[in-house]
Amino acid sequence: MKTHPLQRALFVALVIALILCCFLAPYAWIVSSSFKNQLTLFNDVTPLSWKAFFPVEGTLENYRTLFERTNVLRALLNTAIVAGGQVALTLLLCAMAAYSLTRIRFPGAKIVFVMILLTFLLPIEALMVPLYQVVSGLGLSNTLLGIMIPWIASPFGLFLLKQAFEELPVELEDAARIDGAGHVRIFFSIVLPNVKVPMLTLGLITFLFSWNSFLWPLVIVQDPAHQVIQVAIAQQGSPTQLPNWGETFAGATVATLPLILLFLLLQKYFTQGMTTSGIKG
Amino acid sequence: MSVPNILTAASAGTKARARKPVTRRQKRDWVFAAGFLAPFMILLLVFQYVPLVVMAKNSVLDYSLLNPAVAKFVGLRNFTDMIEYEDAAVSFGVTFLFALGVVVTVIPIAFLLALFLNSKLPARGLVRTMIMLPVVTSAVVVATMWSFLLDPSNGLINGVLNLIGVGNQPFLTSTGQALPALIVMTLWQQVGFGAILFLAGLQGLPPELTEAARIDGATKRQVLWNVTIPLLSRTTLFVVVIMTVFSLQAFAPAFLMTQGGPQEATNLIVYHIYNTAFIMQQAGYASALSVVLLLVVLAISTLQMALLRSRWNY
Amino acid sequence: MKTRNLLLAGLLAATALGSSSVAHAQDAVACTGETVTLRILRTPGNYPYPAPMEGWQKENPCVQFEINEVPFAQLADTISVQAASSNPPDILVYDGPNTQSYAASGILLPLTKYLPEGWDEDILPATKTEHSYEGEVYSPGIEQTTVAMYYNKTLLEAAGIKPPQTLEKAWTWAEALEAFKACQQGPASSPTVWGLGPTRFGNGQPGLVYQDLIYQRSAGDPNADPSSSAYKTFWALSPDGKSVTGYLNTPEAVGALTFYRSLFNSEGVAPKVGIPNAFFDGKACFYIDTPAAGNALLKDPKFDWGITPIPHFKTPIVHTGSTTIGVAARSRNPDVAAKFVVDMSWGEYAYMNVSQRGNLPTLKSLFPRFEVYNGYPMKVFVDQLQEWGQPRPPGAKFAQYDKLVTDALRAVAFGGDPAELMGDAEKKVQRVLDR
Repeated sequence: MKTHPLQRALFVALVIALILCCFLAPYAWIVSSSFKNQLTLFNDVTPLSWKAFFPVEGTLENYRTLFERTNVLRALLNTAIVAGGQVALTLLLCAMAAYSLTRIRFPGAKIVFVMILLTFLLPIEALMVPLYQVVSGLGLSNTLLGIMIPWIASPFGLFLLKQAFEELPVELEDAARIDGAGHVRIFFSIVLPNVKVPMLTLGLITFLFSWNSFLWPLVIVQDPAHQVIQVAIAQQGSPTQLPNWGETFAGATVATLPLILLFLLLQKYFTQGMTTSGIKG
Repeated sequence: MSVPNILTAASAGTKARARKPVTRRQKRDWVFAAGFLAPFMILLLVFQYVPLVVMAKNSVLDYSLLNPAVAKFVGLRNFTDMIEYEDAAVSFGVTFLFALGVVVTVIPIAFLLALFLNSKLPARGLVRTMIMLPVVTSAVVVATMWSFLLDPSNGLINGVLNLIGVGNQPFLTSTGQALPALIVMTLWQQVGFGAILFLAGLQGLPPELTEAARIDGATKRQVLWNVTIPLLSRTTLFVVVIMTVFSLQAFAPAFLMTQGGPQEATNLIVYHIYNTAFIMQQAGYASALSVVLLLVVLAISTLQMALLRSRWNY
Repeated sequence: MKTRNLLLAGLLAATALGSSSVAHAQDAVACTGETVTLRILRTPGNYPYPAPMEGWQKENPCVQFEINEVPFAQLADTISVQAASSNPPDILVYDGPNTQSYAASGILLPLTKYLPEGWDEDILPATKTEHSYEGEVYSPGIEQTTVAMYYNKTLLEAAGIKPPQTLEKAWTWAEALEAFKACQQGPASSPTVWGLGPTRFGNGQPGLVYQDLIYQRSAGDPNADPSSSAYKTFWALSPDGKSVTGYLNTPEAVGALTFYRSLFNSEGVAPKVGIPNAFFDGKACFYIDTPAAGNALLKDPKFDWGITPIPHFKTPIVHTGSTTIGVAARSRNPDVAAKFVVDMSWGEYAYMNVSQRGNLPTLKSLFPRFEVYNGYPMKVFVDQLQEWGQPRPPGAKFAQYDKLVTDALRAVAFGGDPAELMGDAEKKVQRVLDR
């Protein structure tokens, strides 16, 4: 069975176009709608025209009101602080724990490891109510620290780094040890500089997770001054007065853009993090 | 998340050594190890193990978050209620159906996308980037986007359907279409992740195997069915479990798009737990539901580990 | 250890970032004693408003305020979470029908002993009932509100419709439906101008108890025999608040709900999902809302408009109630907080708070000062409130009742079977009441 090369090329082009349409069109629609006003927003959808995807008579009004009337800017800042803090603390704590588990032999290591292993399987969503009680019992409800603290001791992060640390040749540190270097120096000046890529990967995955998290911030923070962006744009959709839809689209665009940019810049590491975590085993 | 990883890591961690007398230096090392592990382990205990205990305790109480001080011990009443009333069965049923729908649609489509990405066809890089965009987009934004895509009178999807001569569909406002609509949305969001996992699996296959089969005279299709797919069963199982666990934990679609309705058609279990605890003010019953959800997820994960260990550990 | 110090510093820094700012009144008079900070939880744009607060602060210079605002949709969740927290707010602005539920859970402070002389005679009886629990008053109330049906005169004139302006001539729902159909433009279910526009409450979808439970209640009869289904249909909950069985799934209710369902389905005159500002953008002929919408239109008339009383089946009825203000039982300064709350709801301060948004006052003595309510169109609200007003079915489990019945009504609007859904709602509400 032989198909004509031109036919085949056409078919392939069609499939590629279809895939791109499915994945790109919703984004194009949302972004272009964020530049339209309430009255014309849906005029190009029924019947569908190409104008649905390009704001012909664009307006910045939605973005202006979004930033003036709502606390989106504050929420963006909060999210950046939470995500940044969570990345820094996760990297530090996971690396320290991974160092202990891979570079030092000590009694009880097995028990510690099994304990971490077990939490890997816990669905956090199921623990939401008691976790809320624990965190607010510590006086951390309505704080940015309260949003990030339950996720810092990440079993996923530990496994990722532990694997990287194990691949590191012991000879690297032997020389330093002969020079009389202690663990702290070996950790900071020899081990860490040699696991930059896994650290970057873990940092990105943690950032992604933190930036996009919704249920936990929704539960633990009620004060809008400490709200993160995902909750801010979700709540914007359902207060007493329905917002202008254009504003909702603008909010979605603002909440997504930073991550998309980060993803496009560092795509290799994102993909690597997601697959190495699963397959290489 | 990775279970195969844990397996290898666990076996590495358990390589025990013969005991020797303890030196001073070893003791110093131990103290150091404890200090370096302490912050991680303390947080792990406080935020994973303590809530587990609290949850177990709460599941035999009747109380509201409005006034947690007034809690009544009710024994197993919260668990018998799950049998006596329909809400738990409905919610778990809807959630399983949702998970099933996501898995059976994601697996084939993700696999086809992975085959495409693994070929020498043009625009591979662009396609890989595009299908990953929804993966990095938050559930909230995806839910917002799709509530407008699925709008019964003005949505983009109805616009496209009108174009090809199909009338407006009710989607999220219909008991029959709401859950399928959420499955399609989740497929759209997660298929890129599945494809990337399959792609890594394909690239990890030794090329000699398929080449050998081709030399033996097998057609491309035969190679795909008889060599590639069987060799990828480990990856497939892994994608199945990831998608299942992900679906069991979905919250934003029910919360933002349907409030679990209409008529509980999309009352996903995590939303049901949230609703029971924070709106219905039955935190004890919510904890009991959480215990069951936890057991279900643990059972699935354990089953997968067992399967991976026994059959595909080549 | 160095790293530990680093970690600690990081934690401290993060905590510091998490602390909140305190709002000061701009021209506070010097305070000679100890300063007290009252924390207020309210929805955006709600009372207490800045002018009365600043006035009050001049008399009470040692009191400062810290204001926390959450959207209405999140208010109930937030209160339930914060009231139980280690540091609850002092003053809560909450949805009135929750008074009994909050009082029963011990969240609210009884305010009876703080009320001024003459309050009992001046307050509207419906407000007092709604805000009392077991003989104690938990909220003095500031404003009262209800809904009526607005219309776009231009659109209606084009269709040749003239709605009634007084309660005596109010439409039945059947008459209203004819008007919706005559005025609607474009195909049913996806018109360019809707007959009846969507609510602005919640996410804009139908089903809210406040607005949509009145369909079936209106099919009932409060003067019928107390054991009859007509009587139970009207009250929608047993008088002692302990039973709902036989109150929601009645033949009368099912009849009314079948009509209600047709609005969104077979007749296609009302949308199933929200459309922001539909009425104000001229995309709906009729629209149900509180006086707030009328006062906004009086200030900025976008088009010619009018108000017609809410239509009915058998017994005309509208729901009363609004957000209200109370003191948290666990406030660290209960006396100061109670004084503030009571002062805000009495005399000149009450007037200042009510006049800001344009809802109705709860004090009879204030009614004459609101001229706008003396004539058509806004008088319809006052008349409705006095003649037809009923609180939403009160009880200690209102929040749960509200959620479950709203879900059921919404499912009916989306096309579900009324008898099945109301039967199911009865079962679910009863389960909560039995706990």
